[in-house]
Amino acid sequence: MIVRWLVALVAIALAVSGAVATLGQAGSGAQPWDEELSDNFVFVKVIPFALALGLALGIALGGPRRADASRRFAPATIAGHWLLALGFLLALPTGVWQYMGGILDVSLPLPLYLIYRIHYIGAMLILFTLAWFLGYWWAGTDRSLLVPRGQWRRHLTGLAHELPPRLGRMIASRLGLDLRGERPTAGKFSFYETAFSFPTWTFVLTLITITGLAKAARYVYPVPGPLLYWASTLHVAAMVLILIKVLDHLRYTLARWSLVVAMTTGRASASLAPAPRVAPASAAGGDDE
Amino acid sequence: MKAFAALLALVWAALNAVLAILMVVNAFVAKTAQHEGLPAQAALLLGGLTIGLFAALLAWECYRLVTKSAAVRG
Repeated sequence: MIVRWLVALVAIALAVSGAVATLGQAGSGAQPWDEELSDNFVFVKVIPFALALGLALGIALGGPRRADASRRFAPATIAGHWLLALGFLLALPTGVWQYMGGILDVSLPLPLYLIYRIHYIGAMLILFTLAWFLGYWWAGTDRSLLVPRGQWRRHLTGLAHELPPRLGRMIASRLGLDLRGERPTAGKFSFYETAFSFPTWTFVLTLITITGLAKAARYVYPVPGPLLYWASTLHVAAMVLILIKVLDHLRYTLARWSLVVAMTTGRASASLAPAPRVAPASAAGGDDE
Repeated sequence: MKAFAALLALVWAALNAVLAILMVVNAFVAKTAQHEGLPAQAALLLGGLTIGLFAALLAWECYRLVTKSAAVRG
């Protein structure tokens, strides 16, 4: 535990030094860069520090914890969730503007580099938080958001039961699932969360991260043109998918208010799965996702 | 608290609905066809329709949240 926090302290010191050196270089006036190019260089140089800092802090905060059935989320998970939300709030509208501004051929009455700057700050927060969660889950023991090996059919069957009947039957028919047997009981998280929501979040966040890193890498490495083209195209596709995911996430959680309470206070409520088609959650083993 | 959260989510849904309309409309504009090509037009149309659908679902959920909590208070 002490070693983990020592590593985290070293990561904090390195991140601060890296940020000071990078910003100092950009602000020295010695480089012939305009604001936008300068921001591009700052962003790409700070990325490794943000990832390392997130990973180190995640590992330091992770690890086994005392089981507490009254808690659904640990403070570190709540902090990570809202940091990620803040990152989306900054990066999504600015990313949409960069794309739609080109399509509509219009400009805002403020410099474009400010839009990029806000986008990069949001992207940095997202990268930091993703690394944080990776480290946090790697160091922890709770895997209740993941579908265990060999359990996909059970989780997909549970998902088909939780969906509106017509949609559930359609998906069951396409995937060859049998809905006539006993309905599976959900664990700490609903089947919608384990079999659909979390895997799709993982996919879109991986896609936006890889394509974003490929786009940013061109300022320090000669990325081939075709690769850059596909990275840019898929980055926009991932952005649209994230817009859809955020809308769906808000729809799902607002319909289950106890989830909003849990992600604010950490406390689990007796009515965590109030939707009639969702099976009641079983007793939680740990205090975190 | 529920009403405030519903209001924020409703603003988000409205902004996404505007984006969806812009995407769908611009999928059929000649300039998009000339500059971006058919795949981009299809992506704009599909993306716009899907965002519009999910924005409508979220707006409905906001309405339900407000009316449900008002009914509980009443």
